[in-house]
Amino acid sequence: MAPLVQIDDLRKEFGSVRALDGVSFDVDVGEWIAIMGPSGSGKTTLINILGGLDTPTAGRALVDGTDVARLDESGLARFRAQKIGFIFQQFHLVPYLTALENVMLAQYFHSTTDESEAREALGRVGLGDRIEHLPGQLSGGEQQRVAVARALINHPKLVLADEPTGNLDEANEEIVLRLLRELHSEGHTILMVTHATSIGALADRRIDLAHGRLAQVVTRA
Amino acid sequence: MFGRILWKLLRGNRGRLAVALVAVTSGATVISGLLNLQFDMREKLTREFRLLGANLVISRSGTSEASSGGVGTPDSPALMDQGAVLNRLGRLETGDVVGAAPFLYIVARNQDTPVVVAGTWVDQLPKLDPTWKIDGQWVASREDDVQCILGRNAARQFHFSPGDKITLNYLGRSATFGIAGVVDAGAAADNQIFISLPAAETLAATSGQIELVQMSVSGTAASIGEYAAKLASSLPGYDVRPIRQVTEAEGNLLHRTRLLIASMVALILALTALCVLATMAALAMERREDVGLMKALGGSMARIVGLFLAEVGVLGAAGGLLGSIAGIALARWMGERVFGASIAARWEVFPLTIAMMVIASMAGALPLRALGKVKPAVILRGE
Repeated sequence: MAPLVQIDDLRKEFGSVRALDGVSFDVDVGEWIAIMGPSGSGKTTLINILGGLDTPTAGRALVDGTDVARLDESGLARFRAQKIGFIFQQFHLVPYLTALENVMLAQYFHSTTDESEAREALGRVGLGDRIEHLPGQLSGGEQQRVAVARALINHPKLVLADEPTGNLDEANEEIVLRLLRELHSEGHTILMVTHATSIGALADRRIDLAHGRLAQVVTRA
Repeated sequence: MFGRILWKLLRGNRGRLAVALVAVTSGATVISGLLNLQFDMREKLTREFRLLGANLVISRSGTSEASSGGVGTPDSPALMDQGAVLNRLGRLETGDVVGAAPFLYIVARNQDTPVVVAGTWVDQLPKLDPTWKIDGQWVASREDDVQCILGRNAARQFHFSPGDKITLNYLGRSATFGIAGVVDAGAAADNQIFISLPAAETLAATSGQIELVQMSVSGTAASIGEYAAKLASSLPGYDVRPIRQVTEAEGNLLHRTRLLIASMVALILALTALCVLATMAALAMERREDVGLMKALGGSMARIVGLFLAEVGVLGAAGGLLGSIAGIALARWMGERVFGASIAARWEVFPLTIAMMVIASMAGALPLRALGKVKPAVILRGE
């Protein structure tokens, strides 16, 4: 089976700063990859390019057969809606929409909304009784669980998680990691940026970046 | 979902949007008031101008006497065949003809002093000139040959009051009339004496001859001109003349007022758009993060900007609707002030005002274009 993600000599420059410098690797369907490295090593840039939030300066990034670098603005929007599920460190929920509406927003941009499916997704992350709450009325952990439900609602090919537990306390971190483990066991492909070695150890493979280059690939035994 | 998000957008920014709504409503109120006034103005102005008296005069071709008071003699070639003219006139009479009367002028004498006597359908006088003020009574029957109406100056000259009797002499014939009333016309008619056409014919020893026909026709200057042309084509050999100062004044005033209203509407629309623009510029800045997130979730610019444009559209429509209602009150107030008459609500003003406010609001939503440049990766980094 062809890899879901194929990265080939990927480069990204911000002016004179080289954020990614010839990164190449593949990700198979159902793999859980942890991307690690110090600040400024290019982890988030890599995730952003794979998610169609940014474009590479050179190289190729294929996701499910789509070369992200070749997509125009509307093609990128379609790509993000149909193939990617994002989980951000800062949760990034729309503050004036309820938990349910935040999940339905992703459905709306994907195709059509299905409220019962959105309720079910929130129930799955343990927020069945908080669906009508605004983000400001939810704890950080609850907000991140809404973000997880939102990321999964459109059944994306690839889940991109950028420091998903970076802003959570230990209890909520454990809840979110349990959710990620469940997703993985269900066959979802996950690329997760993390600083924590213990969290990185949960992944099938750990890819270490340093100065925009692939420093090390560690496969879990 | 579109409706839910739209509702939340409106609720979430109600403070800022309320300010814009007040501006849109204020603009719509003035525009609606002006439009109501404009739509009703033609009718009001026409009514006002009809108060100025007759506006069409029919006379024999080639005569150019003034419209009211050209004095001829019974054997003058300027005289017209009354029956022929009035028969054709009757066939062309429409509901717009407020009043019409034939006139036969003679210069009779009272106490050896010459005075212009107009033989006419005296019952039509108040219809031809509604502004005439009468002291006494109008003569109700056009066949009445014992009563007359005196112009104010004539009454003063001969020291007559309503109820007195006046004797008129013309070429050796004389007739005595009771003075039913004295009119204050504020024009040449103040110097004249009005008697019935049959009485004038008896004095002049003539029959079926008139000098001119005066008509008061309602309508715009253009429609009166059209009616005059129609009359002229069916009355060959006769001049049918709109009284120029009345029709032109009406046309000019209507044109100038329309121009003024159109300019004010354009100015108000521009100001409304500017106010919405200021609000939307601030909102666009505030919503950069939301837009970045929506883009990250796969929202196309068309869908995202569509949401915000719908918000602006609702703002414009709501302000337009509220303003349309308030504008009726404003139009009524202006109508009372300007015309001394109430302005009727014109329902076509509602959609027109709402459409204009929506368009003005949309024009004010130009800052939303800047949202297209929002880079989700930059926004999500917190920059």
